[in-house]
Amino acid sequence: MFYIHQSSCISHQPTFTGVDLQNLQPSVNNQLPAIEPKYINIPLGQLRRMGRALRMGVGTGITLLEKHKADGILIATSNGGIEDSITFLNQIVDYNEGRLTPTHFVQSTFNAIAGLLGMITHNTGYNATHVHRGLAFENVALDVTMLLRENPGHIYLIGGVDEISVRNYRMEAMAGWYKKEPISNTELYASETEGALPGEGAAMFLVSNNAESATAKLADLKLLHTADENLVANQFAEFVRDREIDLLLSGESGDSRFKRYYTRCEQAVSENTAIARYKHFTGEFQTASALALWFSCWLLQNQTLPEHCIKRSGSKTAFNRIALYNNYQGVQHSFMLVESV
Amino acid sequence: MDREQEKLQLKQHIIKYLNLLHVTPEEITDDMPMFREGLGLDSIDSIEMVVMMEREYGLKIENPKDGRKILHNINSMMEFIEQGRAKLNSQ
Repeated sequence: MFYIHQSSCISHQPTFTGVDLQNLQPSVNNQLPAIEPKYINIPLGQLRRMGRALRMGVGTGITLLEKHKADGILIATSNGGIEDSITFLNQIVDYNEGRLTPTHFVQSTFNAIAGLLGMITHNTGYNATHVHRGLAFENVALDVTMLLRENPGHIYLIGGVDEISVRNYRMEAMAGWYKKEPISNTELYASETEGALPGEGAAMFLVSNNAESATAKLADLKLLHTADENLVANQFAEFVRDREIDLLLSGESGDSRFKRYYTRCEQAVSENTAIARYKHFTGEFQTASALALWFSCWLLQNQTLPEHCIKRSGSKTAFNRIALYNNYQGVQHSFMLVESV
Repeated sequence: MDREQEKLQLKQHIIKYLNLLHVTPEEITDDMPMFREGLGLDSIDSIEMVVMMEREYGLKIENPKDGRKILHNINSMMEFIEQGRAKLNSQ
């Protein structure tokens, strides 16, 4: 697949500067909003027009692109700047299709993040945005794998971004995707009700097919579109077969409807394998798997599993191979294999 | 509302429409140029301000060439608003 050289992340935990994963930040009104830093590297004139998704995406991406030139930019986002999209759509109604301002429209298109990153850093290479809902980031990973086969030696910026939108949250809550009862992220996995805690964030990576100075390797990836629990379990068992997995990083979200998928996948790994979870500090959103990949890279480098993430300690003394399983709304499944270099 | 209050309201509209979070109405002086030096606005901001004039004051800037003069600073915008109102009242 590809090697990961640098990464940057904004999440509900302090992950952008001065990473602190040991002290779990409490959820806020059943949500896990990202801790946004001061975006000192985004021009002020552009920053004031940006919504949350744009700020987080450009802020994390530009941090990496300032230090390294990339040959292309590939961004995953299921909703892009959806709050700006809804604002613009409401203005169309409110002003009877007249007197519309350009800012909300320009910033709300899905490809605004990748486009702005390209414009700000004068990057005229490959520029693409993948929007496959819960598999958007995984499709970016596939796309960049193919690009690296065509262009060995190139370096690409890849990443995933999504935001909590006030108005979209209401619609998704009505659809039953979020917890109805007040609940803290500390008790998320003990919950037996339907729904997850919504989250947001951005994770960006500089990747190439060169192992030199890499921090981790995405060794394998599999995507599945199905609601068939047996198919997912069998495919995951096949994915980890003959591979010594030190840690299973589970995308368990606290939604009782999907717990069975995770339980079946946990049964496919050895009892020595540790099991950890992360949705209690990232929240559930379509590109949360990008943050899971960032977390995997961090674990491989730091070899310290935060206590609040541990589901099963296992007997491994070091993490060199991590398997990730993520499930979005019961129908979009992804397996990733991340290895130390 | 007297002229000073009208100016203050105009500055508040500009801050809201352009999301100038780091600027207070007091920092926008009446003769401060809106573009480049001064407030440092750009061409997208000028479109936002044209829309602001229509939404908040019911005044259209018909000729784009006039826009540069009208949106030059607070004084020129106030002049445009007062002239526009006078026209509307005389109709």
